[in-house]
Amino acid sequence: MHLTQELELHPGQRVTQMLFIDVKNAAELRKSAVEGKFNGALINPKMLVSPFQVLVAATKALHLQNIGKMKTRSLFSEIIFNLSPTNNISEAFKRFGISDGDGSVLVVLVHNQDDPPSLSDIIRQVDGQQAPVDDVSSLSDTAKIKKFFKITPQEEKIGTLLDAVVCRMAIKDVL
Amino acid sequence: MSQEQSMGLRELLAKAELLKQGAEARLYRTRFLGKPVIVKERFPKRYRHPVLDEKLTHRRTVQELRAILRCRKAGIPAPVVYFVDYSSHCIFLEEIEDSCTVRDYIVSTHQQNEAQQLERLAERIGQILARMHDEDLIHGDLTTSNMLLKHTGGAERQLLLIDFGLSYISALPEDKGVDLYVLEKAFLSTHPNTEVLFERLLQSYTKASKKSEPVIKKLDEVRLRGRKRSMVG
Repeated sequence: MHLTQELELHPGQRVTQMLFIDVKNAAELRKSAVEGKFNGALINPKMLVSPFQVLVAATKALHLQNIGKMKTRSLFSEIIFNLSPTNNISEAFKRFGISDGDGSVLVVLVHNQDDPPSLSDIIRQVDGQQAPVDDVSSLSDTAKIKKFFKITPQEEKIGTLLDAVVCRMAIKDVL
Repeated sequence: MSQEQSMGLRELLAKAELLKQGAEARLYRTRFLGKPVIVKERFPKRYRHPVLDEKLTHRRTVQELRAILRCRKAGIPAPVVYFVDYSSHCIFLEEIEDSCTVRDYIVSTHQQNEAQQLERLAERIGQILARMHDEDLIHGDLTTSNMLLKHTGGAERQLLLIDFGLSYISALPEDKGVDLYVLEKAFLSTHPNTEVLFERLLQSYTKASKKSEPVIKKLDEVRLRGRKRSMVG
């Protein structure tokens, strides 16, 4: 169900993703995150194309944290910010973070390999059904993603949507 | 300024396969988040003043990134960028698998006497450069080693451009003309007896580009300017 992966650039660290659908308490979760009480990043899965981009965002966030150059205040908010193609932080939170009425949530946890997270803990906190993380691609609002990321029709011919999205995530700092 | 590489990166590069060591950068091959990647490391140049080195290296990295995105947005195939470490100037790029350089392709095809294939290739290169220049993007280092042909399962292989370290934005026909001149020089010196082929490339460029006339005019002027050319007008 959940997906745990290593990050080559950060040996010893792992990223675990958990997808929930039919979520009833998005508002409560969001409040908990804003208060710093939720130990993970809460992402709106409709704006995602693949779990791969979450890994890319997490790698970048950990890297910036290590060199002390994060643009936001916490690792989790940095992961959310990195998913956006723009440098506007509040816009990133609005689009890629969860909103009170959201029915689906992707939870992202970052942990040490020797310190596995309590998945049951997360499951308890989310009032919803767990779904396989790869289902994220079926939840994608591709029209919205293409519009927000300003994907051109020519670009779609030479690569996948994921290619276009990840490219912008990597390059936005110098745009 | 130029900082220590983070532990993770150093370990990753130590284990990676070193593909090429150039004057400007080292290319490594490794896996990153489950995908095969090329890491382009612009290493510090000790013969330069450190402040200048940092500025120049950073600028080259940034120009390369902007050019790649500009290309992709215009429908010109270029490798996807997955991650950039600005502190050590490393770019993690998609590895283009099942591919060869246009240089190697021409060398092998020339030997087999497949003129038609080469003509078609020249036509395609002209078209892709026309599209690039119409976007006011100057590659800066056009050679047949900086173009890749990738097997995709389709009828024709995909033609990609790589190595945008010297690229910049310019609408000036002079800059576009020089870009083509650089390619001409590289082309003719690497592939002997291909003048006709290159002419084909230029014809295709002229046909495909909306702003080609002044560019070709400038190309002719630049040709007259080159080494061992008489400037007696």
